[in-house]
Amino acid sequence: MKKLLLPVLLLASLASQAATPPDTSAAKPAAGTQPERPWYRPKHLALQTGGGLGMVAAGAGYEFSKDRLETDILIGYVPKHYAGSTLSLASLKFMYSPFRLPVGEKFQVVPITVGAYFSYTHGTINDELKGQYSSDYYWFSTDTRYGPLLGSRVTFLAPPVAATGQPRKISVYYELGSNDLYLASYLNNRNGGLGFGQLLTLALGVKADF
Amino acid sequence: MIEFSPNDHRVPEEFTNLTEKNLAKLAARPLPAGDTLRFIFTGDSQQFYDEAEDLVTSVNKLPGISLLVLAGDIADFGLAREMKWVDEKLRRLTVPYVTVIGNHDLVGNGQPTYQHIFGALNYSFVYGDTKFIMVDTNGREYNFNGTAPDMPWLRSQLTSLNGARRQVVVCHVPPTNEDFDPALRAPYVQALREAPNLVFEMNGHNHSYTIGQPYNDGVTYVNSDAFSERHYMIVTVWGDKQFRIKRVAF
Repeated sequence: MKKLLLPVLLLASLASQAATPPDTSAAKPAAGTQPERPWYRPKHLALQTGGGLGMVAAGAGYEFSKDRLETDILIGYVPKHYAGSTLSLASLKFMYSPFRLPVGEKFQVVPITVGAYFSYTHGTINDELKGQYSSDYYWFSTDTRYGPLLGSRVTFLAPPVAATGQPRKISVYYELGSNDLYLASYLNNRNGGLGFGQLLTLALGVKADF
Repeated sequence: MIEFSPNDHRVPEEFTNLTEKNLAKLAARPLPAGDTLRFIFTGDSQQFYDEAEDLVTSVNKLPGISLLVLAGDIADFGLAREMKWVDEKLRRLTVPYVTVIGNHDLVGNGQPTYQHIFGALNYSFVYGDTKFIMVDTNGREYNFNGTAPDMPWLRSQLTSLNGARRQVVVCHVPPTNEDFDPALRAPYVQALREAPNLVFEMNGHNHSYTIGQPYNDGVTYVNSDAFSERHYMIVTVWGDKQFRIKRVAF
């Protein structure tokens, strides 16, 4: 746990330094214009726990369509103690947030974010060696999961970077989610054998734009 | 609810060590020596939660039952939530239940999950005059590496009745199935044939009810219905190795 958390925190602090260049920057652009962002540079960093994507999952994301659409790429980690083997997860999230409500000058509330995720887990103990089963022996994949997400967030608007005029914000979010296997179990029991609440997972996270 | 992964097996304490807890409940309701034993036999509860509810309602109406035996595939995907969901149904039984691990319980990280929630993969206990030997026979999940069934353990279990009068072997994959380790099939069948006062071998996996002697060696193999078949068996055993099986719809 500590082994992983340290590099993640270091990475986050390095990234935040990179995101706030010193005000003494020589080539100060005219107000209102922003330097060209390389297309590949992520718009934000994200750190979350739960949601089936790791005890800790960290990564970066891009925003499109006036920031209403987002996609995050996360790398997650689960210690052996909680799952029987050490797991690393690679996840991709797609989210759509149609509204953004200002609350005062410094805060915004995003009441609804809907989305979906896809994750791949590395490190499970029994995950189909070649030739272990005939094809379609198990109809589901052990390591590949996907599912829906529904959440909200609160965003704190920090003062823009003085040198560049680049806006900065930090958001905290929660997401309720599920996965294909839980949903299949629910759909196969139409007489109330499972309650909808039993399918849900919760994720809590923070995002920092830079 | 903050689940780190579907393979995350953290559950509240009440859903851990269920085998040990259920055996303690059973020990608290002893069956006098010489009494006939009646128990329910079923298997393959995987993803059949509606049926589990109806099965519990049906079994709870029966008098004179000591326990319920579930022949593996408790979960469909080897996940902790599934095992918890099944226990949430079966803990409403008025009698204790015991399980043996099935191949679906071993998918992914199912093995440590089952061990955390239920307990040992191979274990035995004596109730009244009957010894139950619960053995992991899901060879394919171990890539037929010769460890399942654990033959040295099984042989030593079959040798001693631990004070019981008769014994029963319960597993998930029957030796007639292609998911049984082919190298261990003959030794398994032979060990059962030579076991003293073996009433029968009970298994699940096939989702269909059969009783027979596939090896024509005097050993009876009983295959359970899955929960989805909406049938279970009332099994009565007495004497050295006498038994009667009644199949009940629910």
